[in-house]
Amino acid sequence: MRITFLTLFTMQIFNHCLFSQDFDFNTSKVTIGGYGELHYNNEKTGEQDVKTMLDFHRFVLFFGYNWNEKWSFKSEVELEHNFVQSGQGELELEQAYINYHHDDYFGFQAGVILTSIGLINENHEPPLFFGVERPDYHNRIIPTTWFGNGAAIYGNFNGFDYKFTVLEGLNSDKFSASNGIRNGREKGYRPKADRLLYNARVDYLNLQGLRFGASYTYNDAKGDSTNIPVSILELHAKYEANNIYSVFEIGNIGYKNRSIESSLGYYFDLGYDIASIIDWDVELIPFFRYSDTNTSANVNDNSVSEEHYHFTQFMVGLSFKPISQIVFKVDYSHRNRESDNQKIVLFNLGLGYMF
Amino acid sequence: MEKNVNILFYIVFNLILQSTYCHSQEMKDEVEKLIKSEFGISIKINFSKYEIEKKVSSKIEKQVNQKFFGSSVYLYQITSKEKIEGYALLDNVYGKSLPITFIVFFDNNGNILSTNVLKYREQYGGSVKNPKWNEQFVGKNSGSSFEIGKEISSISGATISVNSVTKGIQKSALLIKEIIESGE
Repeated sequence: MRITFLTLFTMQIFNHCLFSQDFDFNTSKVTIGGYGELHYNNEKTGEQDVKTMLDFHRFVLFFGYNWNEKWSFKSEVELEHNFVQSGQGELELEQAYINYHHDDYFGFQAGVILTSIGLINENHEPPLFFGVERPDYHNRIIPTTWFGNGAAIYGNFNGFDYKFTVLEGLNSDKFSASNGIRNGREKGYRPKADRLLYNARVDYLNLQGLRFGASYTYNDAKGDSTNIPVSILELHAKYEANNIYSVFEIGNIGYKNRSIESSLGYYFDLGYDIASIIDWDVELIPFFRYSDTNTSANVNDNSVSEEHYHFTQFMVGLSFKPISQIVFKVDYSHRNRESDNQKIVLFNLGLGYMF
Repeated sequence: MEKNVNILFYIVFNLILQSTYCHSQEMKDEVEKLIKSEFGISIKINFSKYEIEKKVSSKIEKQVNQKFFGSSVYLYQITSKEKIEGYALLDNVYGKSLPITFIVFFDNNGNILSTNVLKYREQYGGSVKNPKWNEQFVGKNSGSSFEIGKEISSISGATISVNSVTKGIQKSALLIKEIIESGE
């Protein structure tokens, strides 16, 4: 009997599988990638220069290894502002995770990972967004780059792309009226593990040129002296087709046990590739942005002004891409504070690359 | 009893075999299904591993600015009543770090009938599997322009895979022209 089965096994292996070994494309491979950006920033209040800086803002290296087509390792190390010393510059391990890709509909990752929120946090290479600096919204409302220690599952069903992430929590002691939750990120530095953050995102991708979706994030954030549960709901959409480039994002952070009850922001970009008109083989995209962010949008007492951290911004700019992975940028904008009508004029130049 | 254990063992063994060892069989089946939906069922499929001549591959790689995945591709020649109906080329390109397996179907003049991403292996950029996006390649051939943002639209969140797959398809179009001209 055993012999019969053994014969069957062997026949099956030979008939069914070895024959098609040709289609096995598993190759172990190291991959290296990266991105970086050089910025010139000029800020003026009235006629006074408040800031002029030439900054190599980010230098990032990706390093990855595939053991086979299902198991891989991916990482991203970032050096900010060239040089690190106490209080200057930053060296960050923004991603370092093991990824198991079962199939289109299911994958798993664990390690240092990115929160799946908004359009830029997970796709933050400079050729992928307008403006030299990341949009204000992605600084003051969504704190990009937002990463931490945790695990996630992800997948895609019929154009619906989902991701569910469990991550280290935020430190509520470091929330501020001017920066929302930004300084509460623990960045993987010995974070407490008793109050995890839950983050879920769904996008729809099957309409030509359009991506839209939403995410919800919850964390019962705690510090040494405060306990502020936060919930973040954001919607995002990006349209890139027919030479039109357009983005809309809106997000709200709700706080409990705090005089500030919510932070709210949104922005809208519209650009058009004019190189297409003259049939030039590059991308030349003038764009316009309107942005509105308020980190203290709703306050339940008089401790903080609802107008003082409310900024609106008009921006015009230009992205020039000689090839799709290199970008030269210029932008000019007026940022206005609601409380005292303070006007800041910003002028930026930038060079960015990715590979 | 021993027989039952044997049968159970056999079933478990088979399940493991099916799930881990035979993904390539799934792909083979899918390719055959696609060929039949493209060319009908009363056809003959001639399958071969096609070694690309060094001279040809360097010329194409230089033009497209992307290397071939390997020294060979998989070539299907589809005939009906001794007449060549068309071809299919199966190849891979690298996405951000893992291979993307795709197939391109051609008529007997080397014009693209359809393209299909058979297997995508990474978290981001899987939208290149979208049939609507693939439709943009229909009718193109070795002489066509494949410029992203112009003839081929980009996909938000899939920049690298759009770039790689588009170049891969263009390489296939150039290679099939060489294959047809060489009379193989």
